[in-house]
Amino acid sequence: MNLAYHDVRHRVGRFVGTSLGIALLFTVVLAMAGIYLGLVDDATILLRSMRADVWVVQQGTRGPFADASRLDPSIVSRVSALPGVTRARAFTYQVLQRAPLAREPGRSLRMALVGLDWPIDRGDGLPIVRGRALRQAHGELVADATLGLAVGDVLHFAREEFRVVGLTKQVLSSGGDAMVFGTLADAQLIADDAPSDAIRAERERRTERLRATDLGRAQPQLEALTDDPEFHPPVLPSPPIAAVLVEVDAPASADSLSRVRGALAAWPDVTAYTTREQEQLLLDGAVEKPRKQLALFSMILVITSSLLIGAVVYMMTLDKTHDIAVLKLMGASTGRLAGMVIQQAWAMGALGFAIAVAIGQQAFPHFPRRVVLTTEATLAVGALVMVISTLGSLLAIRHAIRVDAGKALEG
Amino acid sequence: MTDALRAEHIFKHFGEGDTLVRALDDVSLTLEAGHVVALLGPSGAGKSTLVKALGLVSLPDTGKIWLEGELVVDDGRLLGSLTELRKRFLGFVFQRPNLIPFLTAQQNVELACEIGETASPRKRARELLEWLEVGHRAHAMPATMSGGEQQRVAIARALANRPRLVLADEPTAALDKVRGRAVMELFQRVAREQGAAVLVVTHDHRTLDVFDELHEMEDGKLGPARAA
Ligand SMILES: Nc1ncnc2c1ncn2[C@@H]1O[C@H](COP(=O)(O)OP(=O)(O)OP(=O)(O)O)[C@@H](O)[C@H]1O
Ligand SMILES: [Mg+2]
Repeated sequence: MNLAYHDVRHRVGRFVGTSLGIALLFTVVLAMAGIYLGLVDDATILLRSMRADVWVVQQGTRGPFADASRLDPSIVSRVSALPGVTRARAFTYQVLQRAPLAREPGRSLRMALVGLDWPIDRGDGLPIVRGRALRQAHGELVADATLGLAVGDVLHFAREEFRVVGLTKQVLSSGGDAMVFGTLADAQLIADDAPSDAIRAERERRTERLRATDLGRAQPQLEALTDDPEFHPPVLPSPPIAAVLVEVDAPASADSLSRVRGALAAWPDVTAYTTREQEQLLLDGAVEKPRKQLALFSMILVITSSLLIGAVVYMMTLDKTHDIAVLKLMGASTGRLAGMVIQQAWAMGALGFAIAVAIGQQAFPHFPRRVVLTTEATLAVGALVMVISTLGSLLAIRHAIRVDAGKALEG
Repeated sequence: MTDALRAEHIFKHFGEGDTLVRALDDVSLTLEAGHVVALLGPSGAGKSTLVKALGLVSLPDTGKIWLEGELVVDDGRLLGSLTELRKRFLGFVFQRPNLIPFLTAQQNVELACEIGETASPRKRARELLEWLEVGHRAHAMPATMSGGEQQRVAIARALANRPRLVLADEPTAALDKVRGRAVMELFQRVAREQGAAVLVVTHDHRTLDVFDELHEMEDGKLGPARAA
């Protein structure tokens, strides 16, 4: 006969009520875990959707997301030539704030603009939820849905029109800015589309640089072209890129990865990271503090809930002191009595956890920050709940074991 | 035939110096299987202390106790496992029924059968309740039963493990005269039909005719047995 079950059934209202209270605590624990995973996911979704095995960045920097990494575009072809490399792509990354929306001219958008190496990279790896990836070398953008844009929206940059052709879901920079993807050339065009003063200054700089070259001196009429932001005279250095994305021939084999990295290590101007390392760098930088905070919160909650379960189970056991004495006189083993207590704690923890998961499924989608609850994370919190329940019941078990059987004979 | 219980030279003291209480002062007692024995005496005489000592609830300071010829307490020390001995030999009935409040009558008895490791606990519980004439209340919760009904269930529970010795400390104190007498008569049936030795502490002198033997206690000393 299961004593815990019958006892719980006898006072099911009280039991469920208490479990509900505990459930709310567990809901917050789940939310903490989910928010953390959301942070990690937000921070790394871009990295993952770029589908690179190795990120080549400026020597000594920690990659385009953490530092300002500037590489000469010629590195792309140098990397492509390495044995074991199947593909190398350029990648640019700039955060900008503009008001380019044709239908709402006043509205300022803050975005992180990524340049994709058209035509090898058309953004097919992106988690596009509406529309499509890029199909033209010029004038198309894929934007994150959090910007509030729709497929077909037209944006004005650099006196040109750019059409939103696709929307991604939750592709954000670690700073929380929505990502916008275009071809490399478009991205550089947009990034260079500074306010008019800056344009004039840039034009003067270009003219000056042009005059300093043999070409400029020989053909002064070229100066007229410096008005055009797309104009890159061949002798002028091309604008830098942020990183080179490298795919190796056998990405699963550590051997193949380390061969490519070994080759890159000898280059004086670059540093190479695997996607994992980039991810770790990103997490260390962007997610470290919130993670510590969330972990601390969760710890406090875990302690609170084990104390609460402990107190409730202890009270339930205290209520049964006389019954426990009677059971002892009947010859009930310590195992049976401890079992009754711990099963009640487990039942309370399990019920509270189940309610918490149910509440979470309803509530988390409405949270302002994204809450990602993987099955593994849910199971881990579930296991934690069982540990909490077990710890919480220890004091009650001690009480049950110490009950004097003689109490049953008195009153 | 071996006695259900034999106790020799039992001493139990509480406190020391001025506050020393000789609750049991050289008590020796033999209980025969199939006999109902009453333990009488004024308040504070040591009756409950004796029941606790014989029931191995609160062991004596010194003395020996045999259950069914097996030495279980030697010089105040317990030989063997307490839960085992309780399961094998002992049944308790208390002043109040002390039923487990979250179990039905049937479940209360069944649990005792389970703990006592009797075969087919459900059937035995059912039989005991029928035998004690509370079969019709088998599925009632204790809170919904009368005091007399509860005490019958409590007796059924005490018998679950087929104890050789049933100890009852003022089992009728909470019952009215008629129900009190009915319970005492049940103890007689328990002794006769189940073959157990039954020791009942009582203050009720109107039911003494039920007993085979009477023992009087005073100041921790047990007087000689006399017939009812
Ligand atoms: N745990 C204890 N600590 C100290 N003294 C005790 C303890 N238990 C019993 N006593 C004392 O031992 C003596 C006998 O007590 P006991 O309870 O056995 O009396 P009793 O005959 O059952 O009385 P009553 O008829 O009132 O139930 C009393 O003086 C009591 O105060
Ligand atoms: Mg007493």
